[in-house]
Amino acid sequence: MLKSRRRVIALTATVCAGAALAVVLLTGWASGGNSGVTDVAGSNSAVLYSAGHRPVAPDFTATTLTGSRLDFSSYRGRVVVLNFWGSWCAPCRAEAPTLAVTAQQYRPDGVAFLGVDVRDDPASALAFTREFGVPYPSVSDSGSVITLDFTSVVPIAGTPTTLVIDRTGHIAGAVFGPATQQELTDILVQVMHS
Amino acid sequence: MTDVRAPEADPFESAAEPGEQGPRNRDPASGKLGLADWLKWGWRQLTSMRIALVLLFLLALGSVPGSILPQEGTDPGGVQQYFASHPALAPWLNHLGLFNVFAAPWFAAVYLLLFASLVGCVVPRTFRLAGSARTLPPRAPRHLTRLPRSAEYQTTLTPAVAAEVAATVLAGHGFRLRRPDGDGEYWVSAEKGYLREVGNLLFHLALLGVLVSVALGGLFGYKADRLLVQGTTFADTQSALDEWYPGRFVSAADLGPFTITLNRFDASYITSGAQRGQPSSFDAQISYTAHPGGPVRNDRLEVNRPLSVDGAKVYLIGHGYAPVFKVTDSRGQVVYDQATPFISGASGNFLSQGVVKVSGAQPEQLGFTGVFVPTAVMVGGVLESAFPAADNPVVSLLAYAGNLGLNDGVPQSVYQLNTAAMRQLTSAPQLLLPGQSLKLPDGQGTIAFTGYVPWASLTITHDPGQLPALICGLAALGGLLLSFMVRRRRVFVRARASGQGNGAPDEAHSTVQIGGLARTDASGGFEDEFASLAAELRSAHSQHEGE
Repeated sequence: MLKSRRRVIALTATVCAGAALAVVLLTGWASGGNSGVTDVAGSNSAVLYSAGHRPVAPDFTATTLTGSRLDFSSYRGRVVVLNFWGSWCAPCRAEAPTLAVTAQQYRPDGVAFLGVDVRDDPASALAFTREFGVPYPSVSDSGSVITLDFTSVVPIAGTPTTLVIDRTGHIAGAVFGPATQQELTDILVQVMHS
Repeated sequence: MTDVRAPEADPFESAAEPGEQGPRNRDPASGKLGLADWLKWGWRQLTSMRIALVLLFLLALGSVPGSILPQEGTDPGGVQQYFASHPALAPWLNHLGLFNVFAAPWFAAVYLLLFASLVGCVVPRTFRLAGSARTLPPRAPRHLTRLPRSAEYQTTLTPAVAAEVAATVLAGHGFRLRRPDGDGEYWVSAEKGYLREVGNLLFHLALLGVLVSVALGGLFGYKADRLLVQGTTFADTQSALDEWYPGRFVSAADLGPFTITLNRFDASYITSGAQRGQPSSFDAQISYTAHPGGPVRNDRLEVNRPLSVDGAKVYLIGHGYAPVFKVTDSRGQVVYDQATPFISGASGNFLSQGVVKVSGAQPEQLGFTGVFVPTAVMVGGVLESAFPAADNPVVSLLAYAGNLGLNDGVPQSVYQLNTAAMRQLTSAPQLLLPGQSLKLPDGQGTIAFTGYVPWASLTITHDPGQLPALICGLAALGGLLLSFMVRRRRVFVRARASGQGNGAPDEAHSTVQIGGLARTDASGGFEDEFASLAAELRSAHSQHEGE
């Protein structure tokens, strides 16, 4: 009887240890990195997707802040910088001048910039674009529907988020949070020459 | 929980496991024991029912502050408020983790110890039950009249026939039987009531299941909140949620890709009597798509009538008013035109407060703090709301100009106005009726109160542990009932040839002795069962006598 009790204790201990191991493995697995994604040097919020691992950017048709229809597929063949923002979003206001300057800088290279204005009203959004001299159009995404489409391929956690899309319509780089000019330049150089 | 049976001594149990008594009751303090003995002692303590009950009690006790104090997970605003109103006490409570009880290390410790205690109890129990299900009842004792219940009578049947008849009767009652191995004795051992132990085990296993289910919900579930103004849409993605509390193994990618539009929200209230102003119904008419490009479906949300979509449940938990403001700046540009959700405070009747931040106004940013009053009345010069429905809506605004502090890039609450770098434009709150506007001094612009729309707040939850927890809870209840209602009992029948004096035994006459013993007679009632069994045995024997 004593012997079988010892066996039972050993068995119980094994079950517990097994469960603990499973939890550790599961945790490690959940936090494991993705292949094909590299951090942009010197940045902890910007990433590059290597060729072959670039997610396809979803297509969308939406209304711009000034009321015209915009079909995202018409941008195919160009490098596109897609910026998710809102006039209510403080970090977006902080990065707005950087984006405006970078857009002007890369205009001769044929890089297109496009804004996706999230959870906003057009009046406030247009006031924002006037204030910061935003030289490119934005589509209205008050219901976050476009954001949802993109979230299925890249982990957009909020605004601002900036995606760089290559000429074939694949997402080649992303900045999660306010983008710096250095981060945008690093990604654009890679994408334009690939 | 090894001793969940009735606490009184079990004569069979102690006899069956003589080897266990010594080490089990030995106290390490009383003798010289090594580390292994100490560990064994600790393990036995942990898996004892006393400790399990203490842990269960601690778990319940630990949940109490979770329902009394505001919690970070569900009510971060309440926590801030508590810190403000109890500046001395709050930091101490925070050190103890009482504002986030269910994530506190001590709560996890109690939870895991209870889990270990249950596992350590159930696993050995399962083995013992399996063992006892295989072993036959013990041989019938020699003197059955010494048992708690007994009966004795004479029959003209031979002992062999008497034992045979008794066996048939007992088997008919679902007893498990043991017969002699042909050693010239005639007896039957019968045992019944194994379901008690099965129920007991089921209860323990189900309790374990409840703990696992709750953990499952905590690790793989999530909760999110979203305030939705009538006429607007939101998509279930992290950036569109106001609050997002994921479990340990949940990421934003696990959110179901549904989209909900609040088409119309209606609240009605009791208009007379003592209950005046109490809500009588809420009704949110929504349309939703379960995934992008999917068909649009219409549905209604009511309190306690959630929408199930994509494995998540969407609950209607609150509502309020969003006054619509249109702000024109000094240059005549419309720089703000939207419904702005105001939040009702404790003051009742939906007297609601909110903030308007006009970041795009030129030359200076504008800010307003406002109060929305659905049914405005003046009580001694103070604006109050007499009824929760918008029967006489009024907003009261204080205007500010300057720097909202948004351009530094630091995120702000949409319900708070930081006036540190702003100056007040209006000396007193300005009242506006729908359609009225307020001209700001110095040509700073105009704010118009163009109307109001209702908003509804939604909570989206996904708890994969909910159904398993329910099933386990029912199973635990079933197991408990079984273990309370079923008794383990043994009945023995022994037939002996009744010798007439010391002469040759008259084989034609036997003495039948019946003995009965309830192994766990906590619930009573065995007395009656034994009496009726004894009567049945006796009548069966007399019936056979006639043949």
